[in-house]
Amino acid sequence: MAKIVTLEQRILKKNSEVAAENRRCFDEHGAFVVSLASSPGSGKTSLLEVALGRLRQEVAVGVIEGDVQTDNDARRIEALGLPAVQVVTNGTCHLDAQMVQGALEHVPFGQVELLFIENVGNLVCPASYDLGEHLRVVVASVTEGEDKPLKYPAMFRRSHALVLNKIDLLPYLRYDMKAARAMALQVNPTLKIFETSCVTGEGVGEFCEWILEQMARNHAA
Amino acid sequence: MGLLTGVSPDAMQFYFEMMREDTLGAQAELDIRLEPLRAECRNCQAVHEFSEIAWLCPVCGARGLNFQNGDELHLCNIEVEDGQDRNS
Repeated sequence: MAKIVTLEQRILKKNSEVAAENRRCFDEHGAFVVSLASSPGSGKTSLLEVALGRLRQEVAVGVIEGDVQTDNDARRIEALGLPAVQVVTNGTCHLDAQMVQGALEHVPFGQVELLFIENVGNLVCPASYDLGEHLRVVVASVTEGEDKPLKYPAMFRRSHALVLNKIDLLPYLRYDMKAARAMALQVNPTLKIFETSCVTGEGVGEFCEWILEQMARNHAA
Repeated sequence: MGLLTGVSPDAMQFYFEMMREDTLGAQAELDIRLEPLRAECRNCQAVHEFSEIAWLCPVCGARGLNFQNGDELHLCNIEVEDGQDRNS
């Protein structure tokens, strides 16, 4: 006779459990953790380089870098004299909670109050994996067009902030900023939107202020 | 499966068929149930149920739907035949 075994299990339950462990670890060490996701080449590492220059004046910062191959990004952060841990996924198109957990033993907690996790460049899979971070930021550069949020809704819906990067290129593009903002808010009405250029530094200060505000709010809670 | 997971039912079905080969579950079938998307409009407060992703309120046309679900990705149950079936 056929028997039905009821499971009612979340398929990503294991990831959620490890993410909760990561979050506990961050909270125990008093570290506020912000993840960055985007398509490849939208400027996550460049944004970090510029933002960290400002943020390090206020708080102790560190970075976990996720890439399919190379430790180029971790070396860019280390070149600023800041702690960076590289996670090489060897083909996997996203970070999961377990990979982040594996990197945590190399993070000098105690010397890091604000930790960034830069995900693999990909707007699809990273959306499904909670890493235990407090804040999720998605970066989209203006050269990618206005409609990324509609094309990759899961990522934009699950993010707290959107950084529209490379605005120094706007004079050379047919890019409708108003439409881009409207499309992003259509998918996620609570999304906080920043316009930045890592070349001129425009808008990065505002982004940093917001991160520090969120950090203070988290510590107060 | 919720509609906002970003997981494609077709892809899930395709890989399930690939992975069941040469296993105990070679004859197994995957039955995917898509959960309708429920949302409340932030503007007119109307509550809607969608069978595919929507971003605009069908009543007032406002953007900014407050989704009440959509992230479901659950293994609900497994239907198996017990040993007696095989022996008889």
